[in-house]
Amino acid sequence: MAAKFDPIYKIGAYEIQQYQQNRYPLLFLDVVEEVIPGEYVRAKKNFTYDEWFFPAHFADEPNVPGFIQMEILAQTFIMTFLSMPEHKGKKTAFLNVDNLRFRRKLEPGDTLIIEARLKSFRRGVAQGHVEATVDGEFALSADLKIGLPDIMREFVPGEK
Amino acid sequence: MTNMEKYIEAFVENLDVTAEDAPKLEYQAIPTWDSVGHMGLIAGIEDAFDIEMETDDIVEFGSFAKGIEILKKYDVVIE
Repeated sequence: MAAKFDPIYKIGAYEIQQYQQNRYPLLFLDVVEEVIPGEYVRAKKNFTYDEWFFPAHFADEPNVPGFIQMEILAQTFIMTFLSMPEHKGKKTAFLNVDNLRFRRKLEPGDTLIIEARLKSFRRGVAQGHVEATVDGEFALSADLKIGLPDIMREFVPGEK
Repeated sequence: MTNMEKYIEAFVENLDVTAEDAPKLEYQAIPTWDSVGHMGLIAGIEDAFDIEMETDDIVEFGSFAKGIEILKKYDVVIE
């Protein structure tokens, strides 16, 4: 897929919310370090013991719940297409998660680096691969299919 | 595999129906053929026949039978 837009660097936590509708306590990205709209994203998430989920998961062994790790992958991946001007700020919806692999426990003090690549985007359906590392060590990955309902509705029988 | 078999398989794989039920299907007649299922079905049919459908045809693709009619435009004959 050829790049059609200039790269964007250092999108901070406030500005990320202009691209996607996730909000505290369910917005997990600290910074999007690099975006090539329609193609690639690299983001960062720092975990500190202040996170709301650590005292509950678990009291004697704080680590990041799997569903939050999955959500972090998704929030990074959607930036590949929400960074395109025509899609900025739209709501998204999970369609498929395939090949989800967890390989490393994430704990307070860890910094997760997440990289997402958009393989295709057609009719409001984005497909791609995203993976995350801590200190260069593989942590988790998945193949995602995520939709933009606003666009998908344009292709539904009887809705035009 | 015949075109009919490929066509039915697209419904079976993308809408979780049996091959016997596929020919009776219409959009929203079953829970899996909703807006999300529709996108998956169309993508599956395009892959199966190596075509790219136009927007108007995707919108009009409201049933198994209507789909057969629409696919003739793309030189896909299903008998």
